[in-house]
Amino acid sequence: MEKFSFKDVLILFVGTIITISIAWVLLTVTGFVPREIGKLFFEGAVVGQRNILNTLNIATPYILTSIATVVSFRVGMFNIGINGSMYIGGLYAAWAGYKFTSLGHIPHVSLCIAIAIITGSLWMLLPAILKVYAGVSEIISTIILNFVAVLFVSYMANGPFRADPIAPATPRILETAELKQYFPNSQFNSGFFIAVIIAFLTYFILKKTTFGYELRSGGDGLVGFYPSRYSSYLGIPSDRSAITGMLISGGLGGLAGGIEILGNARYFYQELLFNQGFDGILIAIVGKLEPIGGLIASLFWSALRNGGLFVDYKTEVSREIVVILLSILIFFVSAQKLVSSLERFKFVRKLDAFFTRKIK
Amino acid sequence: MEWLEIFDISLFRSLIRSATPIALIGFGAAMCSASGVLNIGLEGKMLNAAFVGIAASYYSGSALTGFIWGVSAGVLTAILFGFLSFNLGADEVLVGLAINIFSIAGTRYLLETLFKRRGFFSDPSIQGIDPITFDFLVDTRFEKILSGYTPSIYLVFFLAIVLYLVYYKTRLGTAIRATGENPEAAEDAGINTLRMKWLTVIFSGVLAGIGGTFLSLENMTLFTEGMSAGKGYIGLVASSFGNNTPLGTFGASLFFGLGDAIGIRLQGVYELDSRLILMVPYALTVVVLILIGIRQRIKIRPVPIPEQ
Repeated sequence: MEKFSFKDVLILFVGTIITISIAWVLLTVTGFVPREIGKLFFEGAVVGQRNILNTLNIATPYILTSIATVVSFRVGMFNIGINGSMYIGGLYAAWAGYKFTSLGHIPHVSLCIAIAIITGSLWMLLPAILKVYAGVSEIISTIILNFVAVLFVSYMANGPFRADPIAPATPRILETAELKQYFPNSQFNSGFFIAVIIAFLTYFILKKTTFGYELRSGGDGLVGFYPSRYSSYLGIPSDRSAITGMLISGGLGGLAGGIEILGNARYFYQELLFNQGFDGILIAIVGKLEPIGGLIASLFWSALRNGGLFVDYKTEVSREIVVILLSILIFFVSAQKLVSSLERFKFVRKLDAFFTRKIK
Repeated sequence: MEWLEIFDISLFRSLIRSATPIALIGFGAAMCSASGVLNIGLEGKMLNAAFVGIAASYYSGSALTGFIWGVSAGVLTAILFGFLSFNLGADEVLVGLAINIFSIAGTRYLLETLFKRRGFFSDPSIQGIDPITFDFLVDTRFEKILSGYTPSIYLVFFLAIVLYLVYYKTRLGTAIRATGENPEAAEDAGINTLRMKWLTVIFSGVLAGIGGTFLSLENMTLFTEGMSAGKGYIGLVASSFGNNTPLGTFGASLFFGLGDAIGIRLQGVYELDSRLILMVPYALTVVVLILIGIRQRIKIRPVPIPEQ
């Protein structure tokens, strides 16, 4: 994919205006005053300590899953199975959280997080190997693994890891394994900082190191989205970087699940529902498959989500309206031909050239 | 061998009922994949159809109207998918995912806005589609096996045969397969590949529509949030299990249906956890995919260049 250019910002802007007008129409038709709803929405998203903290807390898994998407897409693998990694990472983080009793706070948390990352990335080992050595589409195999993951964690929560005789759930994790919640009025926890550090670390590794270059070269020669043999012509082992990228992506997915358990839920139960893995893919696209872009897009996405929750809580408007509008926005952003057709206008070409020069 | 006694007529009927939506989606996915379109958005198409079908049936009081509106909703979603990915150059996988997320949220929003309900919607004025009973089968031994299913179930068997014939025996089927296998060669042979892709996408929309109305109007007459419950994805998996052929997909769907039916039956009865059984079809799909992949690998082994 191309870098951020003026056209992308323009299409994002135009798309936002169109989705806002759709929202306006929807709200008016259903008998609400869009102005008031908008005000509440803004308040819920970014006004006041509690709302801001909640927004950041919602953003944590989105940041990690969107970075996971960035890594896997940049190596040329379409990883749809981040959600499965989240479940597996979450389950084993909870297991490590109650299993290891005689550890201090820092070692215990680190151990839980390490286990979440390792299990999450091992979960992605099979599709990576199948893709590289047997040519099995990683899209299909990761979709399959999503289903298997849900069945597997539900089995584990019912069987081996079950503690509660009434509800299928693991025991609560020990206090030493908890990610710290700093404020009494919000579930915001130190997991957010981990996610932000990971985002910057990924940026640094992908952009500034040889390892990152080897990873990227598998995917950056993409024609459209499909991998070319560009990197193997350069002598870079693209198969190896594809597997490594997939493992990192799965590990980040596992970390997202682990942080959700260690910071928010504090135990794993059967009804636990993750869907941040799917949303993360769309967020990463809005962020143009850049780690920092993914970070900003996740914050934006979760602010809207939290605003939607607030509106839902205060009024009769359904919170789902936000997701509808966001997916309409995705339709605009992902329409490549729509974006490139903007080059027809002279001022777009000029501004494009202007901004590209500035950044360089 | 007491566990054998679960294999009876009612297991068979429950198998057929579970397999039908998977097969409908699977046929659509198989045709799309055969023409080189990876259609992930079938889940959303199905969900939209299920919701619109039940809403139309509720307002009109007629099952047929509900069915027609439901199928149109599936087709409209398919047109949105095709327009974005073929005309506007968006990536198929992303559009599919976006459509799925859009549909889950959209149906939930409409459920809350139109009917003021959360979670599920059911009403006595919703007309479901009635099962068909064959009079000539009454009091014969086939009655319990063959009679009394809803129309879509018979449609699936019919489609399996028709699609097989179309896929292998007609010019259209060859054109669809050529589009997927080698688009450039197909274009050179005078096939309009874009038209083929549109055709399969619209066809999958129709089938997803029927599958959606099967869930909300035939199998049960109610709508629950996220009612398709991954069946769109399972259909896709079934089609790759069957190597994107009609009969293979049909067989795979029956297999997934069997897993489902046994899983439901075993719930809380035997020691064996039903979730482990539900995993079996997925594991076998992986095995099949590996075999297909290895076969293709052997096929495309590079030919050494002869020395001059």
